[in-house]
Amino acid sequence: MFFLLRKWPVLLVPLVLLSAPALAAMGDDPLQSPQWTDIRERYLGGGKVVFDSRVVVSGPKIAEDSMNVPVGVRIGLDDVRRVLVVADLNPIVKVLEFASNGAMPSLHFRMKLQQGSPIRAMAQTADGVWHVGGIWIDASGGGCTAPSVGRGNANWTETLGQVQSRVWQGETQSRVKVSIMHPMDTGLAPGIPAFYIERLSLRDASGKEWMTLDTFEPVSENPVFSFDFSGAPPIGLTLVGRDNNGNRISAKVAQ
Amino acid sequence: MKRTLMSVLVGSAIFTLAAAPTMAAVTDKDIENDAKSTGDVLSWGMGTQGQRYSPLAKVNTSTIKDLVPVWSFSFGGEKQRGQESQPVIHNGKMFVTGSYSRLFALEAKTGKKLWQYEHRLPDGIMPCCDVVNRGAALYDNLVIFATLDAQLVALDQDSGKVVWKEKIDEYSAGYSATAAPIIAKGLVLTGVSGGEFGVIGRVEARDAKTGKMVWVRPTVEGHMGTKDGKDNGISGTTNATWPGDLWKTGGAATWLGGTYDPETGLAYFGTGNPAPWNSALRPGDNLYSCSTVAIDVATGKIVWHFQGTPNDGWDYDGVNEFVTYKTKDGKHLGGKADRNGFFYVLDAKSGKFQKGFPFVKKITWATGLDENGRPKFDPANRPGDPAKSADGKKGTSVFSVPSFLGGKNQMPMAYSPDTGYFYVPANEWGMEIWNEPVSYKKGAAYLGAGFTIKTIDESYIGAMRAIDPATGKIVWEVKNNAPLWGGVLTTKGGLVFWGTPEGFLKAADAKTGKEVWSFQTGSGVVAPPITWDQDGEQYIAVASGWGGAVPLWGGDVAKKVNFLNQGGSMWVFKLHKSGK
Repeated sequence: MFFLLRKWPVLLVPLVLLSAPALAAMGDDPLQSPQWTDIRERYLGGGKVVFDSRVVVSGPKIAEDSMNVPVGVRIGLDDVRRVLVVADLNPIVKVLEFASNGAMPSLHFRMKLQQGSPIRAMAQTADGVWHVGGIWIDASGGGCTAPSVGRGNANWTETLGQVQSRVWQGETQSRVKVSIMHPMDTGLAPGIPAFYIERLSLRDASGKEWMTLDTFEPVSENPVFSFDFSGAPPIGLTLVGRDNNGNRISAKVAQ
Repeated sequence: MKRTLMSVLVGSAIFTLAAAPTMAAVTDKDIENDAKSTGDVLSWGMGTQGQRYSPLAKVNTSTIKDLVPVWSFSFGGEKQRGQESQPVIHNGKMFVTGSYSRLFALEAKTGKKLWQYEHRLPDGIMPCCDVVNRGAALYDNLVIFATLDAQLVALDQDSGKVVWKEKIDEYSAGYSATAAPIIAKGLVLTGVSGGEFGVIGRVEARDAKTGKMVWVRPTVEGHMGTKDGKDNGISGTTNATWPGDLWKTGGAATWLGGTYDPETGLAYFGTGNPAPWNSALRPGDNLYSCSTVAIDVATGKIVWHFQGTPNDGWDYDGVNEFVTYKTKDGKHLGGKADRNGFFYVLDAKSGKFQKGFPFVKKITWATGLDENGRPKFDPANRPGDPAKSADGKKGTSVFSVPSFLGGKNQMPMAYSPDTGYFYVPANEWGMEIWNEPVSYKKGAAYLGAGFTIKTIDESYIGAMRAIDPATGKIVWEVKNNAPLWGGVLTTKGGLVFWGTPEGFLKAADAKTGKEVWSFQTGSGVVAPPITWDQDGEQYIAVASGWGGAVPLWGGDVAKKVNFLNQGGSMWVFKLHKSGK
């Protein structure tokens, strides 16, 4: 609530400016977002777009903690090339992008929300068509412009890039959950530059990449990701990556 | 995505071929030719020899009256503090570092911002003397700079994306890095900062394209060097000039970086004070502290060294740049204006002492130099041993000149082959200094001394001086109320440029010292100016932003500087053209 009150004068201006033209531009968007036409143009270019119920985004109706909003993405389509996740009304819209190459086309993670917003997954299939699904998540706000919690800890460099992981083995599929120590600063908190993981991949012992992610500022501090595999996860899985300062991440994933 | 990009590339292939050579990457040859080429500035020192001389003459003693600002760029944010950076220029782009480990890429002609990189710094960084950075190096498609948490970051010149990053050392042990790296034979050469924390000084050479370590050369006697991951010989002879274990935390930080002369193949790095400051604890010369070490870039070994202040007891931290030059009779020499107040002329190949003389008006700690350039100490002017005091807590205090901030500090001098003079930003000041007991603790200040700076002449501290290395004479000087802290540029146009803490960028006639131009930049100038030409016009640039070591120490000096305001901006000038 504190953040909402503090940010109110800042938010008010763009909302007023946007409201008139935005209403007209929502078009066929089931989420009726004032940003949809811009997002479509900016991220999907001229590609064909369909709203598709097989692109499933899950999350809470109201975010309990704006800095850690759990979001799940499952794509019930074949031949998915890549998946973009965006938060329409976040100051930094693009949350992450992933491509699976052997892992299931799904991803669970946590993100920051500055205010209530549509969260969308946009999956491109081999024919070039974008399949879009999403939900509204309401939030009291402030998730992106507050300093990371790690900011208060003077020793964040000692744990930077440390990875914890766990595997759950089900009857037909398995889940690999990783968490990475990283402040994931958005650059929007005064005096703290943007500092975030920008690339991650899951590699097996032969070097094959089963899943690649491009991540951006809105992913939560100390990010948590869950990846799904049909059957058991590949042997010798490692998580490798780097942040925008060139710090490297490399860790064996639990078997 | 990839497919789209490919088709664009194929579509524009014809145009690309026609215009191919313009986007050339920086090569070793370009860097070795940097002092002569006028369209770019590729290295700290405007040429790795460090002469800071440009053959450009469009701006000269008669045209300079028309020198006017073209653009100014703010480094922005709340992070101001000292801006000691020398920009570099390539492909019409300017790369300039700012305080707090920031790097900006700008269009050189217009100041239009292309990108910026802000390094995420831990709270625990321990730079001794403000959160400065002195500039970046260019190589291939990379721009490389060092950060306050002792890392080296290489970014793509066009995108600003990090290409490689390597850790120099642990910031929590007191290491930091503020100097501009230099490039020699495809290697990026860097030193370390942290001389006040008992770190080990060293020079490191990494593959500039990948960041992979090639060799390491410690600058404290007794420490092992490495090359390609293997032992490469100890620096000096263990315990020859250091007692006991003190060499293990011996200091001699190479915090101002170095110069490189492709003709000798040697990199010249100045080394800082030995640790701790209390010299009574470490009888002996304490090599290679307060020296210039010449390292063969090919082997990573020390070829020669010259020590200005053996067994330093005053923090005469001799990191000052060694600038090589040729005399009219063909001698290949180098000059160094040492923090200890003496100017040294040495042979560039052998390090043999040629000449030494004071470049400041008062020196108390030595009565002169002997025939090998070794100081003749005045024992009465060495701070006393605290162990010999009545309570064992404070040694005899002495008043020494220069002060520990030196006759010259980090601000690089310039050399003009036209006049044959060095242009040295000098300071006249002294200090009360005394020793106290101290023991080493990782990451804690390791001084063992107390001190306070004092003026010795009420009317000025700074003095921009033209010094003739052949005669040892001060040819002219321009005095300045506050201490000078920015570097110098000299040109074929017969000009010398330098900035002052009071905010002026000034120009004087290189022969006479007559001030011919000045401009108020809005905050103190503690950075070296540069010049280059583009589309037929000569540009002059300097960063403005008061800070550095001076405001961190009070004493007598404070009243000359404590009213100066901080800033953070880049200023660019060229000759005014009247409209038609």
